[in-house]
Amino acid sequence: MSKIKIIAATGCPTGIAHTFMAAEALKIAAKKLNVDIKVETHGQVGIQNELSKQDIQAADGVIIAADKDVFADRFKGKPVIDVPVAKGIREAESLIQAIIDGKAPVFKDSKNDASSEESEEYTSGNSFGRAIYKHLMNGVSHMLPFVVGGGVLIAISFLFGIHSADPNHETYHPIAKFLMDVGGIGFQLMVPILAAFIGDSIAKRPGMVAGFIGGMMASTGGAGFLGGIVAGFLAGYVIILLSKLLSGLSQSLEGLKAIFLYPVFGILITALCMYFFVEPMTVINEGMKTFLSNFQGANPIILGLIVGCMSAFDMGGPINKAAYVTGTALLAEGNMYFMAGVSAACITPPLVTAFATVFFKKYFNQSERNAGLINFILGSTHITEGAIPFAAKNPIVVIPILMLASSISAILTYLFNVQVPAPHGGFLVLPVVTGAFQWVISILIGSLVGALAFGFARKISAQKKDRENNLKQSA
Amino acid sequence: MNTLNTLFSEQNILLNESISSQREVFIKIAEHCVSNNIAISTEELIQALEEREVQSTTGFIDGFAIPHAKSSSIQIPSALIITLSEGINWNSMDQKAVKFIIALLIPENAEATTHLTALSNISRMLIHQEIRENLLAAQNKQQILQLINESIVSI
Repeated sequence: MSKIKIIAATGCPTGIAHTFMAAEALKIAAKKLNVDIKVETHGQVGIQNELSKQDIQAADGVIIAADKDVFADRFKGKPVIDVPVAKGIREAESLIQAIIDGKAPVFKDSKNDASSEESEEYTSGNSFGRAIYKHLMNGVSHMLPFVVGGGVLIAISFLFGIHSADPNHETYHPIAKFLMDVGGIGFQLMVPILAAFIGDSIAKRPGMVAGFIGGMMASTGGAGFLGGIVAGFLAGYVIILLSKLLSGLSQSLEGLKAIFLYPVFGILITALCMYFFVEPMTVINEGMKTFLSNFQGANPIILGLIVGCMSAFDMGGPINKAAYVTGTALLAEGNMYFMAGVSAACITPPLVTAFATVFFKKYFNQSERNAGLINFILGSTHITEGAIPFAAKNPIVVIPILMLASSISAILTYLFNVQVPAPHGGFLVLPVVTGAFQWVISILIGSLVGALAFGFARKISAQKKDRENNLKQSA
Repeated sequence: MNTLNTLFSEQNILLNESISSQREVFIKIAEHCVSNNIAISTEELIQALEEREVQSTTGFIDGFAIPHAKSSSIQIPSALIITLSEGINWNSMDQKAVKFIIALLIPENAEATTHLTALSNISRMLIHQEIRENLLAAQNKQQILQLINESIVSI
């Protein structure tokens, strides 16, 4: 029989004394009782000896000896003993003995269903792919507020007139210029923030630092969104590599690493790699833009299909953002047609769910109907994410419906030659849209078709359930 | 170990003090810190030490206590050792009277530095029974310093 493996987490408010005493006491006790132990400490210096997912998976039991939050949710489903830090110091042996004897209760998540769904998401499927996706989404979710905040301000500035931010134009207005400048700063930070928080997700603060700088290089070099993704992952894994290389250094140099070695070498190595990456990434970025914008004149239907499918596929995720960022980049070059389709495709998915809950009331529960109403607002303001809760419940059916609906909206928008000069804001920017009426009609048609399809899909699955229930009852 | 030498010096070791209460120990710590430029305000430091004590006792076992404070009054991360000629009440984990006090002082905005790691290692060290015994048996400042340096390196 192999040795029993125990993991532990210790922590106290000040994080200088008891955290480490408990860790030491547990280690001594584990040695005495001949079990393996790994102790994570939540101290003033940060989290040390961090428990990995593998550690948690392999553990036979968990001891939490802490007077502060040590993120116990990750131990769900494990036998867990949760005690104050002082007990960890005084009674380390009996705590470990309790795990050995199998006396520890299995830990249940105290929080609501949402967080358990999330953790299931992280454990199921291909874990490497999941990790990559998680890092990417950490970047995207931090980037989003910059896009929304900046975009809406830019949109408002257009309300003063299309050229109102230009001091040399007759419609110039200082408030418009101010809004445009501030919103522009938000947009400029979009790619660096994306890269920074991909790096942060992979390698904490040092990864964030290197990612920020790599992202800034991608942004100023013209490598765009794709360059930012590359910079973020590069930065994160550079820091991971550095930490492996530096792991031989003594524990007492830990502080030096965090404050000096990681930032200096992390930035240097990431920047050197980016120096060579920026150019090819820029070529790809430009190529994608040209590819998409070429369709615009030649074949609006195919372009609408591509944009619609990209926008609705992950609703605010990386693929949606690739289409969106292309739209903003083309907008900056004066192309206002492309963005119109992207906006239409981004506005549609929440509206699909909203209309569906109104027309097919009885196939949605109360909380879904409430969410549906809110989605009228989210959709009208170009926040595609509103559709996610609906899609998450049954992605295989719902996402194709949303892609279809978004494609219809985008195709009609391109056919009507609608021009949208603002990168965000949804229907708020209608006053500056050329062909506003056609644009709204396009979006409504796409949304209503999607809503019908979504409603019938719900109806069919509800009837199927009824039949099954009837069969069970008659059997 | 340079780090430890700056944290711990003979200057920060006070032996055989005759002090009769926890409050007087805190006053002693604060006065020593202010006169050695470790902290700038005695009142604030005493308050910080007492507030920590209210959260939960810093008394350990076998006559050891590790009062500690994180305060904006503290300028340099430091450790201070005070031994008492007579044990005093500290509400310790084994209810024994406390004779050997190690105070850990952390500046408010302390970053993750080697000093902090060293301070945590001092607490870590006290878990080992033979180290406690050796510290109690030490006769003078040099012996205590040497013991701490050796122990911290060995764990």
